Amino acid sequence: MSNIKPIADLSYRNYDGPLKKPGSRWWVIAKNGIRIALKKKALWGLMFVSAWYYLVMLVVLFFVQQVTSSNPAGAQAMKAFMERLIWPDQFLHGFSYAQLPMLIIALMLGAGSIANDNRANAMLVYLSKPCDKREYLFGKWIGIALPIFVIMVVPTIIFYGYGALTFREYGFLKDAWLLPKMLAIIPIAAIFHASIVVGISSMFNQARNASATYAGIYFITNFFTLLMGGIWASSRGETPFPVKHLFYASIDGVLIGVCKAIIGTKGSAPFGIQSPGGVSQVPAPNIAAILGIALLISVVFVLIAWRKIRAVEVIG
Amino acid sequence: MAHENSSGVLSYARLVTVARISNLTVRYGNFTALDDLSCEIPEGCTGLLGPNGAGKTTLLKTILGFVNPTSGEGTVMGKDIRTDGMAIRQLIGLMPEQDCHIPGMTAVGFVSYAGELSGMPPADALRRAHEVLEYCGLGEARYRNVETYSTGMKQRIKLAQALVHGPKLLLLDEPTNGLDPRGREEMLDLVRSVSHGRGVNVIVSSHLLPDIERVCDRVIVVIKGKLRTAGTIKDLKKLAGQPADVELREPSLAFSNLLMDKGLTVAPPKGNVYRVQSELPPEELLRVVQRAAIESGAQVRGFETAVRTLEEVFLEALTS
Repeated sequence: MSNIKPIADLSYRNYDGPLKKPGSRWWVIAKNGIRIALKKKALWGLMFVSAWYYLVMLVVLFFVQQVTSSNPAGAQAMKAFMERLIWPDQFLHGFSYAQLPMLIIALMLGAGSIANDNRANAMLVYLSKPCDKREYLFGKWIGIALPIFVIMVVPTIIFYGYGALTFREYGFLKDAWLLPKMLAIIPIAAIFHASIVVGISSMFNQARNASATYAGIYFITNFFTLLMGGIWASSRGETPFPVKHLFYASIDGVLIGVCKAIIGTKGSAPFGIQSPGGVSQVPAPNIAAILGIALLISVVFVLIAWRKIRAVEVIG
Repeated sequence: MAHENSSGVLSYARLVTVARISNLTVRYGNFTALDDLSCEIPEGCTGLLGPNGAGKTTLLKTILGFVNPTSGEGTVMGKDIRTDGMAIRQLIGLMPEQDCHIPGMTAVGFVSYAGELSGMPPADALRRAHEVLEYCGLGEARYRNVETYSTGMKQRIKLAQALVHGPKLLLLDEPTNGLDPRGREEMLDLVRSVSHGRGVNVIVSSHLLPDIERVCDRVIVVIKGKLRTAGTIKDLKKLAGQPADVELREPSLAFSNLLMDKGLTVAPPKGNVYRVQSELPPEELLRVVQRAAIESGAQVRGFETAVRTLEEVFLEALTS
């Protein structure tokens, strides 16, 4: 039996087909990252979880509209509800409440992106091909930033579309630049998360260590933000100068600060509920300062990754 | 046969040069990994021999552009190793010494991904991945996650990802590392078949002399970062004066004395084998030996031109 030869020619044949010039490998790497991410079922669940505020608001608005339109006294109730509702703040809430699920999504997409390659010596495979460090890093980064952007932008656009079509007479389109502003904020959040997670991932060779580090930074700094928010709320805005700035000294804080500064709001209670006891919100930070901080943090983490990525460990 | 050209670089007559290295020095801090190394690597299969830490892997990494040389220059397929790293890597396939793979992928996914990274269109990369996996003996396991592979299979998949884009030069760093005897045989068969008559030039870096002897036509011996010797294995194994080994049925002093009477030099026998040295051409020497055997009543069982083993060549290079 062992002497039976296969019908097919299994001997080595050269490849004479086309080879693309270097410069587009980053997209091959990004596509692979996205393809692997899309296979994770948990990611699909988290997409809905990250949009929960928009989904709940859509349901609330739909029922308010249905109930009030079928009730003679409904018009007044509708007007009162709409007057309490600050439209730009709904986007701020949608964006803010998406940040915790977005952390988990960023970890799912990015914690192992470079760490797993370090563990499996995959850098030797990547960098022995016509693909340099720049393309590798950019590909990994895009493979995280692009899905985060899409996950955040889709519910925002759906909510905006529903509002623009249904609630024009209630001032939804008062700020004509609201959608462009949101479309500017979301890439900043995607870039911010992608840069940090890529930088942290490059420092480890186990995805779980990178996850624990980013989650640790997120929760510790977030606790600090909550503390500052608590001080601010209890003092009714009469606190020392640093409190309102330190409120933004966290992963969440920076992104919420960016959102507040670009939309031009200090925020309000969610779902159009009146703030209990008239609790004031922490005012928006200076737009240039908060954007500068977000950019600086992103650049620092990308530089960390740049320094860590190498095909061979050269010990001097 | 290798000879030195005007610039002192070892080169090979009538063979196209795949890589040319001139006065290459690579230092890691105070440690000199390659020390003013110059050589030419011709087409075909070349073995890079040297003890552990000799600088073999550093030479491969420098060729690939992973390590910046401190001084010196080199070209691979006519491309400068200092400036054309990307173009060189498009022409080269590397099978690294360490285990390496892209985590979470099946074999076919990994190899086609490696093809796309090399610049192949996705459809071509997938088709080609199936071909090379079949060639490397992983056809049955192509849909398994690479992380579940045995050591032998991991070695094969490293070869498959290096071959997928049809490289003109294949760099194999210790290709038989961690393989059992059967796996080693199969890997060496694969390397030999790809490097002979398929248009793929191969550089095999190893400290295992039998592996090199099995698959390579030429060797470059690097010791402590310096080139010690280079040439075809056949030439390097030749002994000065072309002595012959004569095997008799049983040792015969009369035979030995007769040869010495005819002016030949006969070394003390090793078992039944006499090493005979003379200025005569091999055909004439054979006639003299036959005559001496008839006269002394000895039975000749074998006659062959004496050669050194590759191990002897290597040890000589090591101690010189």
